[in-house]
Amino acid sequence: MLDKKDITIEPLARVEGHGGIRVEIKDNKITHVEVRILEGPRLFEELVVGKTPQEDLSIVPRICAICNLSHKYAALRGLEKAVGVTVDSTTQLFRELMHHGEMLESHSLHIYFLALPDFLGYDNAVAMADKYGDTVVKALQLKKFGNKIMRMMGGRMIHGENPVIGGFSRLPTKEELIKVRDEAEELLDFAVATIDLLGELEIPDHMERETQFLCCKPPGDGYGYYGDFFITSDGEEYPVEDYKSVIKERVVSHSFAKRGQYKDKPFTVGALARVLLIGERLKGKAKEANDKLVTNRWHRNPLFNNHAQAIEQVYSLEGIIETIDLILKSENAKIAQPTEETGIGTGAVEAPRGTLIHHYEIKNGKITAADFITPTAMFLDDIEAFIRTGGEQLLTNKQLDNIELQFEMIARAYDPCISCSAHLVEVVYE
Amino acid sequence: MTAVKKPKIGIYGFTGCAGDQLLIIHTEDEILNLFGATNIQSFVMASSNPIEEELDVAFVEGSVSTEEEKEHLLEIRGRAKILVAIGNCAMNGGPQAMFSGDGNYEKRLENVYGKKAKFLTKPLEAKPLDAFVKVDYYLPGCPISQHQTFALISRLIHGAIPEPYPHPVCHECKLNENHCLLLDERFCIGPLTLGGCGSACPNHGVPCVGCWGPNPDGNFDHHLKLLESFGMSRDEIMRRIRGFGGSKIIEYIRDGGT
Repeated sequence: MLDKKDITIEPLARVEGHGGIRVEIKDNKITHVEVRILEGPRLFEELVVGKTPQEDLSIVPRICAICNLSHKYAALRGLEKAVGVTVDSTTQLFRELMHHGEMLESHSLHIYFLALPDFLGYDNAVAMADKYGDTVVKALQLKKFGNKIMRMMGGRMIHGENPVIGGFSRLPTKEELIKVRDEAEELLDFAVATIDLLGELEIPDHMERETQFLCCKPPGDGYGYYGDFFITSDGEEYPVEDYKSVIKERVVSHSFAKRGQYKDKPFTVGALARVLLIGERLKGKAKEANDKLVTNRWHRNPLFNNHAQAIEQVYSLEGIIETIDLILKSENAKIAQPTEETGIGTGAVEAPRGTLIHHYEIKNGKITAADFITPTAMFLDDIEAFIRTGGEQLLTNKQLDNIELQFEMIARAYDPCISCSAHLVEVVYE
Repeated sequence: MTAVKKPKIGIYGFTGCAGDQLLIIHTEDEILNLFGATNIQSFVMASSNPIEEELDVAFVEGSVSTEEEKEHLLEIRGRAKILVAIGNCAMNGGPQAMFSGDGNYEKRLENVYGKKAKFLTKPLEAKPLDAFVKVDYYLPGCPISQHQTFALISRLIHGAIPEPYPHPVCHECKLNENHCLLLDERFCIGPLTLGGCGSACPNHGVPCVGCWGPNPDGNFDHHLKLLESFGMSRDEIMRRIRGFGGSKIIEYIRDGGT
């Protein structure tokens, strides 16, 4: 059998943004793996300098459409710390509701439309409709429901301006909330059925290796998508303000993007990291799903990120019901006003695809410096490491049919967002 | 143009947030029909194995921000009968073009990537598609509207010519019977901004930030004076107006902006 030649997969399909994978092979050994970011630089850190916090809130969600509200939310958490805003508990509940909507929109898009076609042998989800019509139709319903909440709280399906410093400009009526609550209950069965659908899939093991995990630690004792501390799989806990020393940027000579590493090694963020680090906090049907699906293999296999997202779909639908019940019993939310004109703030949330950090420095009401660390920038190294391990295994076993698809499936499982990471475009250092 | 049956369509994304392609994917009620009524040859964000051949219609999102994107755009134009720019980045350059032409692009690039950075493909200061190729139709938006998108696609499927929508955000804001935020002296640039969003932000009591890009009919000169009368400096006004106006808004505010 002839030796396998170098592999270039470009464009990488069914991910957000323009990217590719390059694997160099010599004498049947992998010599180089590169997830390529092919989008142009947008320089958002520079665009927001000189702007007010409110202007920043309009601009930064444009980093990425799929997780635009996570960018808005991370920005809000950073900016509000900097200008001394503390939101009331009802506003916080509305923000959690907003974020649940985005999780459903993004996870359902990823599970059914971007990832599942690989496992079922199709080019896209529409082609699946003949055989899996019911799943596709229900998946569209679930995605539409996520979008509905994003529209209700965000003010528009994509890039709404309704979330403002200190709260929301307009809040939904009680009737709207009750309707959303009822719809969440109706969709729960499908989300639970998805657990079984994914549970039946055969998951390849060629890429399995040890890695590390990181996510935000939610306040209180519940599961959640934000926090002021990071927790990691080696049992450490760090305040988000220390993000620069926790997540170190790596620059390697010759071929070389800046990438995030934790303790000098690649790490995973996203649903898989969250379920493994804080899954014991789950309750109800999400806990049942967690107990049913999670195995030791999850610590070594990124394809289970798809399954972890499915658990979070159940969690978020239950979370929407619980959050709306709490909102209906709460006092009316008010918009909190800034108390400072100058300050520094670091905000972190869990975007659907992982930990997202927005850091701001503000002087006399204007931003003087900003830093955005996106989940895709954090896990690019980890994707490459898994592709390398999987590729070596497949080459050793001479399983060369569709090796490209195996690599793509690893990259897609992370649900990468290349627009998000584009400020870490491939850079070659001389 | 002549009527085409099942037109061959390609949907492409350059530098931007992918929100316009996402909006097409998010048309939950229409997406199955769209795949049925057209022959989608290339839509990499939604499907593997694209077929890159002659196209009846190419939809292109995003600004041109690298040398490679410029080449790709020219290549797509060469095989597409009709090219539609979708979204603010493709039409005006988007937020990444807000400082367009100020001469400091290299400096900003260096601030983010460091001095010694060498790129795999040469970065270019963001420009709209029509800086490089002929664009047949524009679908404005940030993101584009589902209504306008499907109206345009339907017309093209039936061999009809899509119509522009030259109305400002205020037009829709009035139809929605919103209270005018300018009456409260809030910084709203709805009068200068292309409509089609259904006045999404004023509907929520939030001023228009101009994200759909400039409306050529806007009375820029007068609106700048109005905003100035609210006690805001000319610099502050210009900075905000340029947020989403890309490289094209400069044409309208050239005199007013000095």
